[in-house]
Amino acid sequence: MKLYQMSAIAASGWLYLGLTAGAMAAEPVCGLNNAEKASGEPILVGGINGNAPPGDFSGGTDAAAAYFACVNDNGGINGRPIEYLVENDQWNPELASQVATKLVKDHGVVALVGNGSVVSMAVNARLYVEENVMVMASACAISDCYENSNIVSTNQGPLPSGIGAMKYAIEELGTEHVACIGFNIPNNGGWACDWVAKYMESKGKKSSALLMDPASVDLNSVYLQALAEGVDSILLMLPAGPALGILQVAEEQDGRDTFKWISPTPLYDPSIPGTLGDYWDGHVFVNIELAPFDSSGNDNGNWVAVMDLYGQKGDRRDTFSQSGFLSAKFFVETLLTMDPDKIKRDSVTAAIKGISGLKSDLLCGPYYVGDFDRHMPNHAGRMVVYKGGRFEVVRACYDIESSYLDAIRQQERALNLID
Amino acid sequence: MALRISFHRRFVTATVFFLFCVFVLPAIAGAIWLKVFTSAVIFALAARGASLVYAQLGLVNLAQIALVGVGGWVMLRLNYATTLPFELSLLASAAITAIVGMLLSLPAMRMRGLYLALVTLMAAGAFQILFTAFQFPNGGSGFLGVAMQSPGEMRRPFLARSDAAYLSYCVAVTALCMVLVFLHERGKAGRGWALIRQSEANAMAAGVDVTLFKVWAFTLSGFLAGTAGALLAGALRLLDSKSFPAGESILLFALAIVGGAGHWAGAVIAGILYRVVPAVLNDFGLDADLALILFGAALLHAIITAPQGIAGQILSASAFRRSAT
Repeated sequence: MKLYQMSAIAASGWLYLGLTAGAMAAEPVCGLNNAEKASGEPILVGGINGNAPPGDFSGGTDAAAAYFACVNDNGGINGRPIEYLVENDQWNPELASQVATKLVKDHGVVALVGNGSVVSMAVNARLYVEENVMVMASACAISDCYENSNIVSTNQGPLPSGIGAMKYAIEELGTEHVACIGFNIPNNGGWACDWVAKYMESKGKKSSALLMDPASVDLNSVYLQALAEGVDSILLMLPAGPALGILQVAEEQDGRDTFKWISPTPLYDPSIPGTLGDYWDGHVFVNIELAPFDSSGNDNGNWVAVMDLYGQKGDRRDTFSQSGFLSAKFFVETLLTMDPDKIKRDSVTAAIKGISGLKSDLLCGPYYVGDFDRHMPNHAGRMVVYKGGRFEVVRACYDIESSYLDAIRQQERALNLID
Repeated sequence: MALRISFHRRFVTATVFFLFCVFVLPAIAGAIWLKVFTSAVIFALAARGASLVYAQLGLVNLAQIALVGVGGWVMLRLNYATTLPFELSLLASAAITAIVGMLLSLPAMRMRGLYLALVTLMAAGAFQILFTAFQFPNGGSGFLGVAMQSPGEMRRPFLARSDAAYLSYCVAVTALCMVLVFLHERGKAGRGWALIRQSEANAMAAGVDVTLFKVWAFTLSGFLAGTAGALLAGALRLLDSKSFPAGESILLFALAIVGGAGHWAGAVIAGILYRVVPAVLNDFGLDADLALILFGAALLHAIITAPQGIAGQILSASAFRRSAT
């Protein structure tokens, strides 16, 4: 892609956001909201993102940083400011291990918030349990993130979002055979596509997993593979960049009508409409894990306001950003219920595990943590279609059916969140 | 007599350094530096394998990182498939990787210089593709042991469960391997390698089995890489295919030259440059890729002014100081 095209896309993304923000311009509401700067002893909180090719998952920590800055300007945690330490694991397992150890052991953070990474959760899952530190993540994409007692993510991840997209595709688009295109990482693309295959089988449909090397993404060959498989739909189980790349390959081959195009949430990004253009109008369906960017709920409006006032110029404003904002908000609300002098790691971990039944217009269901061996509070989403240069909701909140959620539903019953 | 004193002095220096790394370093290093130093020690071992083949035979092996990956793969597979103690799995991983290293030596029978380097680099590329296609075992069933799930538990040695103890353990294993290389260099293999390095024709005329000694060097190099890979699996508890790109072997080889190919200290310096310098840059909030610029300058320096590497310069300076006093 030419530089001027990318600039135009970025500009249109900002314009879109500007219009969105303009529609809901408001003062941010953060923490105690008393307009007094916090000046007590800082509370150390960590965050790890993975920002390097082939994907940028920094939206969660960006938004959490903005929200914490806003909280610090509004009384902090009963007078104590939050010092937020963010590290980038660069998709490198060794570095992921080092930065997590640095935050958890050397800095002694009370919790990690806004995390988003493909490698960090797998490498550090054991560390978090051993050190009894909770991670309120925001951009999880691997199984380890959802199968650990000390990690809870506000985003759904590829499994529910991918199955959610497939549910819509089967019911509304008539999908019979889907190609699930993902990264060849067993606990990421392999895991998610495997569960999509089980879901498709349960519905009497077919699926084929096309997993590619994240280190050398060959989009043309994977597109040709999909053609050779004879599928009628393509599920883009990928970060936004590679997913967009496959759509561009398809456009060059004029392959729009050869398949139905569906995707989990990463493709729901403000810069995408400017990139897709008229060719894809009405043909790209995306399952979104949180509320639409232009929705009118209080939390969504507050996310926009916080990012406008406290966000940095280069911050991403995608679903993971919303998710990071929400993780940070729930974290702050939890800390505000505690005695500020007794905010230590163990007490914070216990308080986070005590979270149950929190609500937000950004989510379709209640948010909870609980003292369980796994967590996936967010598994219901919405479906949007790219139309008229923007994303349009085509199905409101709906949940998925998958045996993967059996343990999760038991948790929800135990917490009296469902019957 | 002077030679004996020099050897004695070096032995004492090496022993003091070893004791410092085993007992003092783990006690004083912060948690992140325990991880960084463990990686540095592991890759020092791998660098020793690369430098051994270069220093002894003048041959360039650019598949060392791929062999580290092989060692790690075997270690993970044995961890999930058996209940063998860590040490036995470690030995088995090293032995199997040594066999792979031996197979890699086959082109070395007919090639030298650039062509051998390219062939080993192509082999490293092939391993990269294999790692990506088949992934690293994570507790699944079957020969490959890969399941679409979170990885299972990678066991560590009974006496080295904590990061600090594991650093000491890695240092001890690396020291043992360095002694193994030293014994080879001082023994029959070293004499054979020295003759081959000067002239293969003369070595053959002197009755040296050139093929055997070349294969021997590559096998030993593979053994060191396999040991490093197995230790790395224990350090990280999981491995992924992105960690062993072919290009990294070039970087490790270059750093082995910068450190000093003919001495164990050169490999230690290579390990420090490879893993500690980027971590220091990261810690200062700088991009770790800046280290590549430093490495390029260091390589130029080594090629132009210090063919024995940094270790050679330190040893020369030390010898000069002693002779002056």
